[in-house]
Amino acid sequence: MDRVTLASTTHAEWIKFRTVRSTIMGYIVTILLTRGIGALITTAIRGHWRTMNPLDRLTFDPVSTSLGGTLFAQFAVGVIGVLFITSEYSSGSIRTTFAATPRRIQVVVAKLAVLISVTVVVAEVVVFVAFLLGQRIYEGVVPTASLASGAVLRSVILGGVYLTILATLGFGLGLILRQQSAAISVFTSLLLIVPIIVFVLPQSWQDSVTRYEPSSLGHAMMSTTAPLNMFGPWTATLLLLGYVAVVLVAGATLLVRRDA
Amino acid sequence: MISVEHLSKRYGDTLAVNDLSFEVRPGVVTGFLGPNGSGKSTTMRVIMGLDAPTSGHATIDGQRYRNLKAPLREVGALLDAAAVHPGRTARNHLLALATSNRIPVRRVEEVLEFTGIAAVADKKVGGYSLGMSQRLGIAAALLGDPPVLLFDEPVNGLDPEGIRWIRAFFRALAIEGRTVFVSSHLMSEMAQSADEIIVIGRGRFITQGTVDELTASADGTVLVRSADNVALRRLLETSGTTVDSANDGTMTVRGTSAEAVGTAALAAGIAIFELTPQRASLEEVFMDLTADAVEYASAVESTRHG
Repeated sequence: MDRVTLASTTHAEWIKFRTVRSTIMGYIVTILLTRGIGALITTAIRGHWRTMNPLDRLTFDPVSTSLGGTLFAQFAVGVIGVLFITSEYSSGSIRTTFAATPRRIQVVVAKLAVLISVTVVVAEVVVFVAFLLGQRIYEGVVPTASLASGAVLRSVILGGVYLTILATLGFGLGLILRQQSAAISVFTSLLLIVPIIVFVLPQSWQDSVTRYEPSSLGHAMMSTTAPLNMFGPWTATLLLLGYVAVVLVAGATLLVRRDA
Repeated sequence: MISVEHLSKRYGDTLAVNDLSFEVRPGVVTGFLGPNGSGKSTTMRVIMGLDAPTSGHATIDGQRYRNLKAPLREVGALLDAAAVHPGRTARNHLLALATSNRIPVRRVEEVLEFTGIAAVADKKVGGYSLGMSQRLGIAAALLGDPPVLLFDEPVNGLDPEGIRWIRAFFRALAIEGRTVFVSSHLMSEMAQSADEIIVIGRGRFITQGTVDELTASADGTVLVRSADNVALRRLLETSGTTVDSANDGTMTVRGTSAEAVGTAALAAGIAIFELTPQRASLEEVFMDLTADAVEYASAVESTRHG
């Protein structure tokens, strides 16, 4: 019968997602950063490739360098995730949302479904574009990679997966903190400030701690040549998913218990 | 029908609602009256399943809100008119709500037309006046054509024409047999738009009844003008009533009836020129009723601080 289902809630959340400008702007910025910064990085490498030292040339990864823009785009997708939930609190519309769908977990699952489906499509398209664009810039001067290689294909795909997971991390932080500025600050701190704090630790600690940082996991996911002291691509993916799962479960638990 | 049973809600140190029980019947407009901060909004949020009660419960036709299958088809509510994403248009806001509860899309157009905001439906809600937001909130409440409706301070921000419209609208909803529950802190508003009134103060139930019942239950006054006000006053005061004199030669007598005043004047041989029994206004009744709750609360506070 005509009852609220996960499908109807998801459809409603899709309408809400696409009818605010911040979502569209967020994805435009994601695309511009991934492509634009990727093009800048690859052009710069091409420019001084001949003067680069031999060790750097030896460990050079044409895939992860062409996907370098994701390290900037990750903030844009994070903000999309944060805003998808915190804008409901800042405007007060969360009450209307829960009045329409009293099963709050259903709202969380519906929002996640919308956020993940849209982000994964945009992110995968843009990482493939950035990869191909980067290889074209490298061509003739710098060694290039081909999607015919399984490791290369995996790295590019995981680049899009990385961005998608970070969007859900932003969403999870928004669930817990309910306030846009707080959630964005924590998100940025996790990606930027934590590595700086780790940097002041003794060298032996740094090596073991650094590889657990979200940005290092992202680097590991997008690398064809396993970088030193880093996890393999699949382990890194699982670890990152684990972090986000913890944040989402905490956020959903709070959402159900707290007054709206 | 809305039932609230022994409902209490505590936020930290504050007991916002204190053992509140009442029922709201279908077919009439029920006013929910209390001073600001008396717990009206909290009670409505608990009814809507938004805030969890500390103890007790609220049900709609016997069901908890969170167990309703398609809530917007069963309960419509206007709690906070401004609570819409400012960057979204009214049409898209209503479309998302309708979609979530599988309400046909044509209902969106119907409620937009009905509330008179169809012309601005494609404008962002952030630019709406309070009155327009209020109409959008009413449109959202009506979307599922629900038998039970809650409105929290719906008159705020409406112009006089809007207020007249909304009163007639509440009346029409009630005549259709719906349960209409409207909160306000203004007694004058309630006197004109509600059939039955529930009065609360400081989170506690004070009284429930029709406007007539509430005003009848309060002590009335008698307006009197006589040939010798001074003598009549002395006479009335010795029999334990209070008398206020006005400059226009009239006196207001409390705690007695027009019959008693007339009989006393005849016995004393004082000619009566005017004798009018006066009913307490709803406003006076409300002040009397809530004064106790306020005094009680401030007494508690002064003991705590003292």
